[in-house]
Amino acid sequence: MKKHFLIFLIITINQWSLMAQEAILGMVATSKHEPLVGATVQVLGTDKGTITDVDGRFEISASNGDRLIVSFVGFDTDTVEAETGKMMHIMINESAEELGEVVVSSGSTFFDNMESKNLEIITEKELLKAACCNLSESFETNASVDVSLTDAVSGAKMIRMLGLDGKYVQINRENIPHVRGLTNRYGLGFVPGTWIQSIDVGKGAGTVVNGYESMTGQINLEFKKPENSEKLYLNSYINSFGRFELNGNRARDLNEKWSTGILAHADYFGSEIDQNDDGFMDRPKSRQINVLKRFKYNGERIVGQFGLNVMRDEKAGGQTGFDFGDDHKTSPEYGFVNNTTRIEAYGKTGILFLDKPYKGWGFLYSASFQDMDGGFGREPYDGKETTLYFNAINQNIIGNSFHQYKTGFSVLYDDFKESYSSLNLNRQEIVPGGYFEYSYLPNDNFTMVAGLRYDHHNLYGSYWTPRLHLRYQSGKNTVWRASAGRGYRTPNVLMDNLPMLFSSRNISITEEIKPEVSWNSGASVTSEIALFNTPVEVAIDYFHTYFENQLIADMDASFTEVFLYNLRGRSYAHNYQTQLNFKLSEKLSTRVAYKYYDVKTTYSGVLRRPPFIPKNRFFINTAYATKYEKWKIDGTLQWRGKGRFPDMSNHPITDVTFDTETPSYFLLNGQISRGFRWGNIYLGSENLLNFRQKNPIVDPENPFGTNFDASMIWGPVTGTMVYAGFRYKVKRK
Amino acid sequence: MAGVVLPLLAQKSPIKVKEGLKIEIQTSAICEMCKEAIEYDLTFEKGVKSADLNLDDMVVTVIYNGKKTTDEKIRKRITMVGYNADHLKRDSVAYENLPFCCKDGGHDDDH
Repeated sequence: MKKHFLIFLIITINQWSLMAQEAILGMVATSKHEPLVGATVQVLGTDKGTITDVDGRFEISASNGDRLIVSFVGFDTDTVEAETGKMMHIMINESAEELGEVVVSSGSTFFDNMESKNLEIITEKELLKAACCNLSESFETNASVDVSLTDAVSGAKMIRMLGLDGKYVQINRENIPHVRGLTNRYGLGFVPGTWIQSIDVGKGAGTVVNGYESMTGQINLEFKKPENSEKLYLNSYINSFGRFELNGNRARDLNEKWSTGILAHADYFGSEIDQNDDGFMDRPKSRQINVLKRFKYNGERIVGQFGLNVMRDEKAGGQTGFDFGDDHKTSPEYGFVNNTTRIEAYGKTGILFLDKPYKGWGFLYSASFQDMDGGFGREPYDGKETTLYFNAINQNIIGNSFHQYKTGFSVLYDDFKESYSSLNLNRQEIVPGGYFEYSYLPNDNFTMVAGLRYDHHNLYGSYWTPRLHLRYQSGKNTVWRASAGRGYRTPNVLMDNLPMLFSSRNISITEEIKPEVSWNSGASVTSEIALFNTPVEVAIDYFHTYFENQLIADMDASFTEVFLYNLRGRSYAHNYQTQLNFKLSEKLSTRVAYKYYDVKTTYSGVLRRPPFIPKNRFFINTAYATKYEKWKIDGTLQWRGKGRFPDMSNHPITDVTFDTETPSYFLLNGQISRGFRWGNIYLGSENLLNFRQKNPIVDPENPFGTNFDASMIWGPVTGTMVYAGFRYKVKRK
Repeated sequence: MAGVVLPLLAQKSPIKVKEGLKIEIQTSAICEMCKEAIEYDLTFEKGVKSADLNLDDMVVTVIYNGKKTTDEKIRKRITMVGYNADHLKRDSVAYENLPFCCKDGGHDDDH
């Protein structure tokens, strides 16, 4: 896609110049030193602009100290100070967010000051700090996203943002909805970490351009691109539990316009780990093969990319002895089986107008099929989902660049079939929609983005989605933001509530389930201050989410039932977070964050905290790196406060003392890596303090009895794990 | 300024410092990218503890362990990145592979 509708872009390319100004000479290149042909260079606050020639060079008249805005399709726009009397060398970076905006900072994680949304960008540098293994671990060094196990059997990890389940976060891959629907629980494990180039974490309401599904936030993944990633990248990983991983990426140019790449991943874990001796494997055996083939076309007027992803993932868990290929329906052991096949073809096409860089068309499209079969104990589960998605985006200006807009339409087709035991839950969604998003950018210091979309849902009728973002910069480094918006989502009754399937509870769906609807609003301030002569980036935010409707899975009302019903009463989450990023020296940096969640939901008429979610969280990450990252040491310490444990006082099992609340605990992860010319080797550990939830399963001796429950999870099930690996890279010329 | 004109200075000898040996080597680095390329390569060279290139005089200061490498090996390494190192001429293949701006004349527009 393209990025010439940039914020603060000055539009009219006009050749007049002022007498008092001098010719500025310069060159624009990629971070890999390749000259960029056709990059736009403009003088901020004027209507002067030019385009770089075949050698990436430009000449523009400006005064010393004027700010030049350098932009190029697919790259982050940069603002630099014009310098007369020398040849300027400007390097710009491949865009983290393709439909993105201006990034003026760099580093491993940073807040994007020019972005109207509250956006934190996690770069590859940061992702390397948590070496294992897939998207769910990619947030380990990030304070805004919490990661925890969904249950004590599946090994699946879920994320949590603003105190609420990760299912309310819209997860896109290059702006196309990705982890959703049937794979919203296991899907994080289907994105290998070595494929990810960067992750944008946006809190609060997202843009209407990407649909109505972002309720608490948007996470956009950028995968490694064929046109600029390493020629060859190999990674191997092994851990002390016996998990083995192999990753290989290749990228090359086919000709001047086409480039191609392949991202491949395989993992295997066949050991049985049962550290708490409850007869259940602490994580299932698993194996996966995952391949993505990509093409990129960079033409003068058309840019495009296409991808084909094929994945097969198999899990076999439950009681020890249960193995791949065993039949859970007849096995004497309690068996958990989940076999997923996923095929997706997707693409993006952008139409550019060289003389009018503010104007353009973008088309996003994808078709995916996912099939998940298996079972929980003796009960079979089957899920199938076919999704088609199309989004056409037009962007332009109204008169001048102070007024910009994006408008377009999208169609979502979702055929969803889910069955478990005797339950059959099928639906077919067809949702055409249109949207308009207006941006007002009168100057560098103020941005307003107001969007509205209307979708017509074939099952649930009209969806009106308004969203608003405001940004105001006071002084050099202080940015204030506010946002508000509505979001919708169709709940996937079984997969959303995966933990309940690992229990003997009867599933009672007492009424027709309606879509989930929420309003989110929030405000934030980021600033850079000096504290004891150390530059400190401060970010404070507050968000409030309020549900109009929500699917409630009530496990408090009974020990033998889980009741599923639409929200009756209030459900909300207040989230408050303060984060401080200290740059102690060139080599040493520390991030400290504190979070407070006030989450309450009405269960059977009583407003109470959802189980297991702590109110208070504390996070500290320290990173040390020598020049050119020859040595890198990184550590993350997390503290999670007390949470509510469901009331077990009348539980039929009396010989076990149940918790009344979940305790607070610390988690410590660390990693050390050594760089070489060819890549690096790393050694790390998760859960260094060896903290475990001792008895995560209720009545594990009788998995087919009436009291079995593996959903009561609040902490890690496995203790200290050590891992090691290497990364081998052949750079491009 | 043209990159081909090299100051003809006498080659320096290593001197003892606290961390090991220190050598100052005259290179043909002309820009930030050249500086990075040389520093990056030397950082991962066996025996090298640090490498800092000053673009004003194009001299790279290297601190190294004299038991693991020699100043001549370090010069040789710089030539393999594509730059002259004191009396040693740059490797022609490595030079050809340098980005445009790091080659001779890449900064002829500089005033």
